[in-house]
Amino acid sequence: MSTLLEVSGVTVSFDGFRAINNLSFQIGEPELRAVIGPNGAGKTTFMDIITGKTKPDEGRVIWGEKSVSLLDMSESAIARAGVGRKFQKPTVFEDQTVRENLAMALKNPRGPFDVLWYKKTSQGAEKIEEIAEEIGLTDELKRRAGDLSHGQKQWLEIGMLLAQDPRLLLIDEPAAGMTPAEREHTTDLIKRAAETCAVVVIEHDMEFVRRLNCKVTVLHEGAVLAEGSLDHVTQNQDVIDVYLGR
Amino acid sequence: MERSFIMRNPSVLWFLLALAVFTLGVTILSEAFGIGGLSTSFIKTLGKTLCLCLIAVAMDVVWGYCGILSLGHFAFFGLGGYAIGMWLMYARTEEIVVNSLNEAAIPPTQQEIIDGIGTQIFGVVGSSEFPLIWAFSHSLGLQLLMVVLVPGLLALVFGWLAFRSRVTGVYLSILTQAMTLALALYLFQNDSGLRGNNGLSGLQNIPGLDHLGQATISMWFFWASAIALGAGYVLFAWVTSGKMGSVIRGIRDDESRVRFLGYHVESYKLFVFTLTAVVAGIAGALYYPQAGIINPAEIAPIASIYLAVWVAIGGRGRLYGAVIGAAFVSLLSSWFTGGGAPSIPLGFYTIQWTDWWLVLLGVSFVAVTLFFPKGIGGLFDYLVRKDP
Repeated sequence: MSTLLEVSGVTVSFDGFRAINNLSFQIGEPELRAVIGPNGAGKTTFMDIITGKTKPDEGRVIWGEKSVSLLDMSESAIARAGVGRKFQKPTVFEDQTVRENLAMALKNPRGPFDVLWYKKTSQGAEKIEEIAEEIGLTDELKRRAGDLSHGQKQWLEIGMLLAQDPRLLLIDEPAAGMTPAEREHTTDLIKRAAETCAVVVIEHDMEFVRRLNCKVTVLHEGAVLAEGSLDHVTQNQDVIDVYLGR
Repeated sequence: MERSFIMRNPSVLWFLLALAVFTLGVTILSEAFGIGGLSTSFIKTLGKTLCLCLIAVAMDVVWGYCGILSLGHFAFFGLGGYAIGMWLMYARTEEIVVNSLNEAAIPPTQQEIIDGIGTQIFGVVGSSEFPLIWAFSHSLGLQLLMVVLVPGLLALVFGWLAFRSRVTGVYLSILTQAMTLALALYLFQNDSGLRGNNGLSGLQNIPGLDHLGQATISMWFFWASAIALGAGYVLFAWVTSGKMGSVIRGIRDDESRVRFLGYHVESYKLFVFTLTAVVAGIAGALYYPQAGIINPAEIAPIASIYLAVWVAIGGRGRLYGAVIGAAFVSLLSSWFTGGGAPSIPLGFYTIQWTDWWLVLLGVSFVAVTLFFPKGIGGLFDYLVRKDP
């Protein structure tokens, strides 16, 4: 397992409020990691920095074997480099079919003229079928994404990430609003994805994190409070004070 | 591949068929090539309407599909008109000047001819010098190139600056309004080089084709407009279908999601903005020779707003909706404002439609937005139901 992403000494302030405070974080490939922390701990800002949405005031974000800095890249370039992001609220293109959603995410040249002259390939169609089966939406390929249930939308969005052939997946609260059966499916999906790439899951639900059975990073006030197995961090007195004790 | 694309999109085929039938019908009823029945001026109105339909389709792509509410696309339309108008005016004036100078005892020199043309064209703004922007006006080919290049380059530069700074939504709309207003105000100046508020006139007289008469020329332009609309429709149907259409509609619905999928959203917006501006320029170049005159008032901000109203009434996000909206509203508008609609006496007050048409248009716009967001084109959804 080699280091894929290294965040070091990152600080971000919004109007004087330090959302991220000298944060350092590393993840290898493949690896599954859960990030937990109370509201306002900086979990979403942390994802915003990696995906290029927010530029930090200080610090470095280093990516891949060639150790390139993600800070100089646009959001779309970072996504093309292999960072996929799933938002907390399911964001799929509701007006388009499941197949169209997946086709848009497939790893292909992304320039306007590449897309304009794009021709469907049988490999592309196979890949879509494969992902649809993985996320359990094979029978829904022709349906409008807007007509899917909440859980199905979440899976579709995860499927769109998988279609990008990512190296790092950032997944924000995947289990929110899901039934127990749906959660189980989601856990399996994430675990399988983590066999080949690095996956960071932000989650509030301890039971869900326990099921992921992976290393946990606890954020508090924009910095790492503790890191280790779930049992290890839940016994940490600092963690109990700020998070679990409430 | 073009053929298979049309086959996969039957609505394109139906549209082309309807356009062909309409064109044939008008031809049969024309004075020049048929049994008569439609006046030359009405043929011109129909030809102009086809050009308006073309720019409405372009507007629908940029707004209805890509979600960029541009309130400046009529500026590109006007620039296309000015570009072709410069050649029309130059070549036409050249004919007149050469004819009159040839009657003199001594044959005119080239310089005398050019001075004569300059005086004829720019005398009205107190000048006789050709401004630099008229450098290519002697050449039809180069001015046709300008029809595409000038709106295209303006859209490219404007769009690049605006999209790069991530200006979106209503702020972008305001910016496009400012662009068209600034352009109109500039052209209103006498020293803009395009004859100030006089604009360019006599554009219906096509140099070298005087012997044909307006009845014939109007039909030529009508056909050209119909072909342009058909070609533009196929082009935009192609752009908005398939994966490109998927990405463009994605940008409309959730820009940042598209960005996080790895698409450079700004390039796509710039592509759509520029392509539609070029088509708007071509539509304008076909429109103004039929109108006969272009002046800066044509590209006043309100014109671009009307364009958005047509597309909204016709139905956003469907190309035929834009065609229906532009044709319906602009023809109705000329009927109401041209005194075609009878006044309604109420005893204490008489509703004159020339005054009240704008109120009616405004009310219908609000009503469509509130109650029929899919516009007139949405009615087709009830007729043709492909998927449940």
